[in-house]
Amino acid sequence: MSAGDKKSKSKKSAARKRAAQGVSLTDALAEAAWSEADAALAQALADFDEADTADGKAARKDAMARLGQALSRAGRKRGLARVGELDEEVDFDAEAYDLNAAVAKTPKTVRIQARGVTRGGEMLAKPRVAPVDRNKRS
Amino acid sequence: MSDWTLCIDFGTAYSKAAVAPTGAWSRFDPASVRPLMLSADGQNTFLLDSAVFVDEDRVLFGRAALNEADAQADNKRAALRSFKTLLSVSDLDRALNTNAPATIDPHRVFQMRDLIVLYLAYLLASIERAITADPILAQGGTFSRRYAAPAWRSGDSAGMHDVIVRLFGEAEAFRTAVGKRLLSPDGLSLRAISEALPKAMERAEALEMGLIFEATAAAAYTSVGLEGSGSHMIVVDMGAGTTDIAALARLGPRTIELPEARVTLKQAGDFIDRVIANRVLESAKWAKRQDERTELWSVLMRQMGDIKEAVMADGRATLRNQGRSITLSFRDMEKDEDFREFEKSLRQAYDHALAVVRDDARARGRSDVQAIAVGGGASTPFIQALIRRKMESTRPRVIPRPATPDWAHAREFRGNLAPVFAQLAIAIGGALAPDSMLAARSGISPPANDRSGIPVERD
Repeated sequence: MSAGDKKSKSKKSAARKRAAQGVSLTDALAEAAWSEADAALAQALADFDEADTADGKAARKDAMARLGQALSRAGRKRGLARVGELDEEVDFDAEAYDLNAAVAKTPKTVRIQARGVTRGGEMLAKPRVAPVDRNKRS
Repeated sequence: MSDWTLCIDFGTAYSKAAVAPTGAWSRFDPASVRPLMLSADGQNTFLLDSAVFVDEDRVLFGRAALNEADAQADNKRAALRSFKTLLSVSDLDRALNTNAPATIDPHRVFQMRDLIVLYLAYLLASIERAITADPILAQGGTFSRRYAAPAWRSGDSAGMHDVIVRLFGEAEAFRTAVGKRLLSPDGLSLRAISEALPKAMERAEALEMGLIFEATAAAAYTSVGLEGSGSHMIVVDMGAGTTDIAALARLGPRTIELPEARVTLKQAGDFIDRVIANRVLESAKWAKRQDERTELWSVLMRQMGDIKEAVMADGRATLRNQGRSITLSFRDMEKDEDFREFEKSLRQAYDHALAVVRDDARARGRSDVQAIAVGGGASTPFIQALIRRKMESTRPRVIPRPATPDWAHAREFRGNLAPVFAQLAIAIGGALAPDSMLAARSGISPPANDRSGIPVERD
């Protein structure tokens, strides 16, 4: 048997082994989806350190912009989508929003402080809202 | 009748393949879709690098070819890539019979045809390996094959299809001759190739393969489950080199393209890259010297995928060069005259195609037209705005479809198909599409875009 034949045989048995082990399609898809998200998350971690240790407002603002960008990219690579618009005023619904403040009375109208996150129709994090402060409105 | 349908998406940068049970489009179960794990290495096993590298005494394929090309870049050596671009030239025979340039083949023994056949043989061997490794597909069954391609613009799609199934036939004969040696990470020796390739090419027969246009494949994965309501579709496909707009109508068991709706714009992803790079260079006032501008340009090009994605999805991107941060917003891009001109041309082209497809739908008594955006630019805001625009007249309605179909979020995939769907979409759509959507069924079938003058009747 030639070396090439041996190689071919070992590859064949490896392929059969994978088949017998039932290589999960979803696991392979997950690995593919994570491969790019991993790079973006690594970038975000480094950007966070820069933001955390930045000297001065401008440097911090830049680092925060890059951090946000890397996190958004990681989210997109995992199929995550944002819900709502920052500062948007909406009718409060306890099912749809997380109230980000201690209040004595349930507010009617709230302002979105942090957007929610969904994936394929599944809400992973509800938008965080706070009561509208009428005194602060112009 | 076969048990499974395999579709190969022979891409510019990567090749992909997917399998679906024959008839899956009308009896759809998301779990039955099987993208193939073509690549043995790398984290994304579904993407097979489209690359061939001719080394000193052997030929390398895929990722190994790219790695070796990188290692020898200083010696003016390069891997052959972008076969797809070559396959779409108007005089294909002439292009295939051209000798490969010395940077690609220093021995000057290969014609472009040989290298493409070698790559296709590697691709077919990778598909075979992936099927063997798939726990469901490995159980056996018969496969019918097809490949996806853009609708060629030279007007001789029939001739092109015949050439391509012939190339696949030669590749299959070569693969049979050399066996799994093709998949060795060390590549294949020049000696083995020179012994087997001429004989294989001589005795090869055209492979039985169908052809599906990429726009139709997109329509197939989008219209799964829509049945009657998905009879008319407008597809905007923004890739790297061109933006294509096509209109399709499903008439009973057949799907036809409405040829008068087809428009191709030469501006697409690569054009957007240049607009972004030029805007950044313009705003980077500190980069005055030529070497500084060259350095910034190469940084931009290296990171362009991420920059473009951030500009399109988040409205702005921030990058760093020489310790300085540069921010570019989508609004900055809209100030670019060339970009504005492109947006205008795109709108006009879309309006023209939409008018054609709506007229056809109206004449056939249909009430809806589905609007689909595909390709790398599918989720850009101006493409999404285009397909979501409100129409003056309400009938037929234009219904925008999401770039990633709802079924890609099915529980079976545990959230993992949707993030990579765009990369695999054409292969999956091509595997799902019923035979009636094919542009050509075998080497001798006339392509669908030659079928014009089909009388409009209410059906």
